[in-house]
Amino acid sequence: MSEQASLERRYRRLLAWYPRSFRRKNEEEILAVLLACAQEGQQRPGLAASADMIKGALQVWLRPAPGQPHSVRIAIRLVCAGAVAQLATMIMIVATAGRVRSAIARGYPGLAAAQHDVKTMLVVHYAGAALGVVLCLVATYALMRGRDWARIVVAADFGWITLNMLYTTLQGGAVYAPADMVAGTVEWLLFLPACVLLFTATSGRFYQPEPRGVTAWQGTFGTM
Amino acid sequence: MQEATYLILTALAAGSQHGYGIIVDVSEISGGRVRLRAGTLYAALDRLREDGLIAVDREEIVDNRLRRYYRLTPEGEKRLADEAARLHANAMAAMRRLKPGLATGMA
Repeated sequence: MSEQASLERRYRRLLAWYPRSFRRKNEEEILAVLLACAQEGQQRPGLAASADMIKGALQVWLRPAPGQPHSVRIAIRLVCAGAVAQLATMIMIVATAGRVRSAIARGYPGLAAAQHDVKTMLVVHYAGAALGVVLCLVATYALMRGRDWARIVVAADFGWITLNMLYTTLQGGAVYAPADMVAGTVEWLLFLPACVLLFTATSGRFYQPEPRGVTAWQGTFGTM
Repeated sequence: MQEATYLILTALAAGSQHGYGIIVDVSEISGGRVRLRAGTLYAALDRLREDGLIAVDREEIVDNRLRRYYRLTPEGEKRLADEAARLHANAMAAMRRLKPGLATGMA
């Protein structure tokens, strides 16, 4: 295999990081430029060129959809911050688990069932927080691409955080797990404005654009 | 406007260019300070096309490789002119406030 063919194959592997629609439009052209920029006898992409390709791929993947209103942009940043807060909550739960257990053991000496409940509760919290982080990241990407279902995911996540906060407060969480409560409150305060912004009329138009040139009856019964 | 975007639009202001030509021109315009790479360039070109600031002028096949030429759209020309005027005004304000000798030396 010639040096150029080997280099081309490796560049194509890097280009596989880009979205398919972008590759369809630009792959051959980018490849031509990459090969034109390559040095004589080069067989592998350089470190800087590889890093730049991956950075470029991330830029393309994370680019906001055209016509994204300001309210949506702020909401997306809040959801992103929410993902960070959920990650912090997860770390907090792990870090304070021992303290929570001993606080409950002190409050309810000899109550083996309480210890078991706490263990179960903590596992549920770990799983919930991890799921929350993943959901936030998926929702952030989908919100940027203008997917309407992502708004429902964010609203559902907000509902879950609210219920969780209420439950923890009623269980006296402020006493035995103050750090977790603070992290949860931060999350709640980030998701509340995000939800409000995502459901404004301006955001609604972005997520549910008017169908172009489709009459009312076509919209109801579909097109032939 | 990001510096890379500004330099890409500037490279296209004199006429249509292909990707490799833009990389070389941007390096010249910036005095060798900015060296665009393919990943950054094509992410920017794709976004600029989507925003309607540039358009494909023509395509050629050279040595069995696709070569696509880009040009500024009227909207792109206006955005570049606005940005250049803004940068010029900022630079002039800075020059007026600098000590006379220093400002002359920089001019």
